[in-house]
Amino acid sequence: MSLPSHIRSLWLRCRDLLYRIPNPPRDILVTAVLLCGAYCASSILISHTGGENNSALVFVLAVTIISSLTTGYFYGILASIVGTFCINIYFMEPYATFTLNRTGYPVAMLSMVAISCVVCALTTRVKQQAAEAIRREKNTKTLYEINQKLNEEKAAIQLESARETIRGNILRAVSHDLRTPLTAISGAASVLLGSPEISEKNLSMLQDIKSDADALIIMVENLLSVTRIQDGSMPLKKREEMLEEVAGDAILTTRRRFPGVHVELELSEDILYLPMEPLLVKQVMVNLLENAIRHSGDREHITLHLFRQDDWAVVEVRDRGKGLSPEICQAVQSGKPLNRDLSGDATRGMGIGLSVCQSIIKAHNGFFAADNNPEGGAVFRFGLPMEEKSDE
Amino acid sequence: MSEKRTILVIEDEHAISNFICRALSANDYKAIPAASGKEGLSLFFSHSPDLVLLDLGLPDMDGLEVLSQLSGLPRETPVIIISARDRESEKVKALDMGADDYVVKPFGVSELLARIRTTLRRADRMKVSQGIQRSVYQVKDLTIDIAKHQVIQAGEQVHFTQNEFKILELLAIHAGKVLTYDFILEHVWGPYSSNSNNQILRVNMANIRRKLHENPSAPKYIYTELGIGYRMLED
Repeated sequence: MSLPSHIRSLWLRCRDLLYRIPNPPRDILVTAVLLCGAYCASSILISHTGGENNSALVFVLAVTIISSLTTGYFYGILASIVGTFCINIYFMEPYATFTLNRTGYPVAMLSMVAISCVVCALTTRVKQQAAEAIRREKNTKTLYEINQKLNEEKAAIQLESARETIRGNILRAVSHDLRTPLTAISGAASVLLGSPEISEKNLSMLQDIKSDADALIIMVENLLSVTRIQDGSMPLKKREEMLEEVAGDAILTTRRRFPGVHVELELSEDILYLPMEPLLVKQVMVNLLENAIRHSGDREHITLHLFRQDDWAVVEVRDRGKGLSPEICQAVQSGKPLNRDLSGDATRGMGIGLSVCQSIIKAHNGFFAADNNPEGGAVFRFGLPMEEKSDE
Repeated sequence: MSEKRTILVIEDEHAISNFICRALSANDYKAIPAASGKEGLSLFFSHSPDLVLLDLGLPDMDGLEVLSQLSGLPRETPVIIISARDRESEKVKALDMGADDYVVKPFGVSELLARIRTTLRRADRMKVSQGIQRSVYQVKDLTIDIAKHQVIQAGEQVHFTQNEFKILELLAIHAGKVLTYDFILEHVWGPYSSNSNNQILRVNMANIRRKLHENPSAPKYIYTELGIGYRMLED
């Protein structure tokens, strides 16, 4: 490190130390120290050179430094006046006396005061301008940072909305591209099933084709709903709907798919008219009915029961089948995603079916529970709030 | 009727159009497939079919546009809409524009055939009656006597409020046709009915169901078209 940089760092350190002292005492201290320094320097100079003009310059220098280190004009001007008197008293003949009798003395004193004042004023102004410049730079920097942050956020939002559009498009495309051929497969199979020239052997295969295509159609609907709800990209399209009409539709759909099964709807005396996305709620009912039909072993006493309990519209699907294991009840209650082993025979994606129910009910701020009926059989129960919560 | 009824199938998906046409010809209809809206319109004018099956998602033009061109004609041909599940507002618009019924993809053959039968029967009845309104409607064991303002179910009179009767009357006059909520609201409560009336309509309907001991899972008289409207079974 070179010498000037050494001095510079030393100076910076001293200045930092200095700035740590609180203000009025600091300025007083600076003024006192520098005036003493100027006095000492002048004393040394006068003993070596014998001239008195040097002392004035030394004091002007001291005043300059004082005004650059202190705040405001006050200390600079004070120092210049003190300095002038000091010179007059200590460094001009007759020494140790204040005198204005010598020719030129008053002029010299006044000009000394004037020069000191001007220097002080200039220094202060420069200081103020520097402070202003620093402040402006800081503002600009803050503005720049805020601007940059805003830009980043904007880009993120744009990216997110673009992603959502793409996601929506993919969902639509998938739904169309899967539904259409499945409809065609199922439809073609049922046309062939109705035609007289099909042999017994082929008939059962055709029935398999049709029922598998129908099951796939349901699964596609389930997958679409669950992706839609779970990634939260599309909000529910809620509207007020009569629950018994949704339930009736769900049962008609189920009967169409399982013609031999006996499913009943038990209505509530209360009118259950509440906000929901009807197709999703219907899907929950269809899934629960299908679950009962496939897994309970009972095909005769499946009922869908609607009633009102306090502020909830409750839907129960009951069967008289073999009932549920405690693990399934617990898994349904906990709201954790059901794993495939728990849903027993995982064929036809019944694991998916129940977790679709969970997601749909959760998105409606409802509850979902599973239990065993003391009289035998399983009960799946879900409730939807009668009124929309105000925070939504 | 000895002559085969002609049905124009405007559907761009070949596989779907194919099985619909097969199902139609297996059930003694004459099916004419059209793969685009333009082709459909030109076939419509050259063949004048008895019924049109119209897919709303066509490649060349909006299905609703095709519908508006079909429904503006003097000789009214019934139209059944084929639409995707999640396009409810589109279905409602099509029904309000004069379509008679709709099926939703994925649909089954028997469902489609049942809707076609109903719609054709209704169209025939309209042709016979020439717009003259009957005063008594009969659905199974339910009799709706508009002149006497009376509803009789299995020999017993059932009492309804003014609005409930108006709804029943409207459904009976249009039996077999899906009536949208807006259509019913406009005809029962007048053209300036607001959205809150929708709730009143739905509650009225729930009450009608209770008075008729009608279970929506096994409808005897009134079918619910979820999110769209209601339809009374034709006699």
